[in-house]
Amino acid sequence: MRERMTPMERMGAVLMGQKPDRVPVNPFILGFAAKVCNLPIGDLYADAKKSFRAQVLCAEMYGYDATPMYGYASYGAWEFGGKIGMPYEAGQSAPYVIKHPVETPEDVDKLEVPDPKNAGSIPISMGVGKLCYENRMPVIFQCGEILTTSAMVAEPARILSWMIRKPEVVHKLHKKIAEYFVAVADYFTSTFGADKCMAFTGGPVESNKLINPNQFATFVYPYMKEVHSKVLGMGVNVVLEHPCSDQNKNLPYYKMLREELGWRGKYIWVFGPETPLEKQIEIFGNHDIIMGNVDPPSFQFKDFEEIVALCKDNIERGIKNPSGYILGVGCELPPLAPPINVYAMMKAAREYGSYQ
Amino acid sequence: MEKAEILKGLADATVAGDVEKATNLAKEAIRAGIDAYEAIMNGCAAGMNVVSEKYEKGDMYVPEILCSAEAMYSALEILRPHLKASKVEVPKKVVLGVVRGDIHDIGKNLVKLMLDAAGFKVIDLGRDVPNEQFVEVALKENAEIVGLSALMTTSMVNMPLIIKDLKTKSPKTVAMVGGGPISPELAKNYGADGYAKDAAEAVKVAKSLVGGGA
Ligand code: B1M
Repeated sequence: MRERMTPMERMGAVLMGQKPDRVPVNPFILGFAAKVCNLPIGDLYADAKKSFRAQVLCAEMYGYDATPMYGYASYGAWEFGGKIGMPYEAGQSAPYVIKHPVETPEDVDKLEVPDPKNAGSIPISMGVGKLCYENRMPVIFQCGEILTTSAMVAEPARILSWMIRKPEVVHKLHKKIAEYFVAVADYFTSTFGADKCMAFTGGPVESNKLINPNQFATFVYPYMKEVHSKVLGMGVNVVLEHPCSDQNKNLPYYKMLREELGWRGKYIWVFGPETPLEKQIEIFGNHDIIMGNVDPPSFQFKDFEEIVALCKDNIERGIKNPSGYILGVGCELPPLAPPINVYAMMKAAREYGSYQ
Repeated sequence: MEKAEILKGLADATVAGDVEKATNLAKEAIRAGIDAYEAIMNGCAAGMNVVSEKYEKGDMYVPEILCSAEAMYSALEILRPHLKASKVEVPKKVVLGVVRGDIHDIGKNLVKLMLDAAGFKVIDLGRDVPNEQFVEVALKENAEIVGLSALMTTSMVNMPLIIKDLKTKSPKTVAMVGGGPISPELAKNYGADGYAKDAAEAVKVAKSLVGGGA
């Protein structure tokens, strides 16, 4: 097909509930962009200018429709006073925690909600945001999810066992983290204007590989609802929500979130490959955009034809969503994926994703 | 209290993550003259097998498992000093860790838990472990097994490098691998001697490779 729209026009159309020329593609690329530009992956997370440039060039080279963003799963430890490492060594692919700021319940009492202006990675994230703003792209800020962040502040095994042994400590910590997320949203929206911002939230520790749906209801839902409600209240209209890995048992709560928030704003759902598109369409289809969830490891293991076939299947199922669909990956695209497999997504979108 | 009742109680307390009950029953087992090895195997380890099965079926989740681990270790602390030297072989040693570039250690910790319960001596190197450290420690400790865990396609590529180094420097040590992106075929390609899909299977595979824990 001949493309009639620019990436910005294409994404804009989907967000407005209109049909673009073809399905947009967001391959959830972070570390891969650094590889493409022959940069160490660490630069993507440690240097705003290099991060922005690598993401823009990678998108331009392939012609996909995502704009740069800044975020990672180990977020929170640094911001609350701990220490993280940047992925500069061979084999490393994302930031990792060196020291968790919370080790005891007393540490939670003493923990101060940081001022976002100089908290950990926020100046870098702000740097990427400024470049996006100057280039008329949406500014994406990270504001969740609560349990993934508390697991980084206090260490995953510690927070998970406290959920049973010391639930009151977990609630105390989650209150502080929720307050911090709202402060971050406030900082970004007051700097750039809420209409220019997009919230990014989600995380793997909420996955049902780790916790059950009742634990999600008790320790995640109330804080998630509070943060989302306040962020939408500030005027942010688009939320990129990534319930990472298998969260099928948490689906009723994500549905409840949207219902209780009156389906305000536009959500873009990026579930893991474990959640069938049909199920997502059934729950969110009348209001929200679904970003297709092709299995991430497949991009590293499978060959070009197989990836085209996986994307074709995803497009044929996802395009049925009445409120819009984006071809995407169910989590970050593996940075070691063969470069041709990103082109496979583009080819599938052009050949099988035309609305014309 | 009958012997069977004490052993079942220990298993149940492990499953329920009841530290107090597990500690009391371990003491009770010693008082009643129950062999410590039997109390560990038919009490604590039996309980951990139930935990592992429940996790795989989705009937139990990680927070509860961490409490079970706490209960099990509290009982082991009491029982282990009473193990009769004649009854047990020298425990087989496993050097275990998550490979370089990978900090996903929850699964590895479950594998450690099950190996501990089965009587192996686990030397836990933690997460994001430099490649050369596995072989260095295996040589120093004269370990029978090196266990490698990887959750990401980006980090798993370290496995064949470690295994190659191990086979050159310590050919008698066997390599066992596991974690999300690993399959039996991949494990074979990497030169591993064993692969396990979950923590319970890791115990079976370790036993089949080196002939038993305690
Ligand atoms: C020696 O012999 C053996 C034998 C058996 C062995 C074995 C060894 N090791 C494991 N086993 C086996 O037995 C265990 C018990 O039954 C099992 O262990 P598992 O670990 O499988 O099971 C555990 C009990 C529960 N499962 C888990 O603990 C992993 C769950 C998922 C959701 C997950 C989590 C929780 C996290 N994550 Co991340 N995370 C995901 C995971 C999704 C998934 N599908 O696995 C995965 C692994 N993560 C991923 C990603 C991309 C990332 N994560 C990241 C971070 C994190 C957290 C830190 C937030 C957290 C980990 C916390 C911790 N301390 O472990 C980042 C990397 C950080 C780093 N530098 O390592 C980051 C790169 C995201 C980012 N851009 O920041 C994906 C990897 C994709 C790929 N390329 O392969 C991922 C598959 C999610 C997805 N849907 O795509 C078996 O595998």
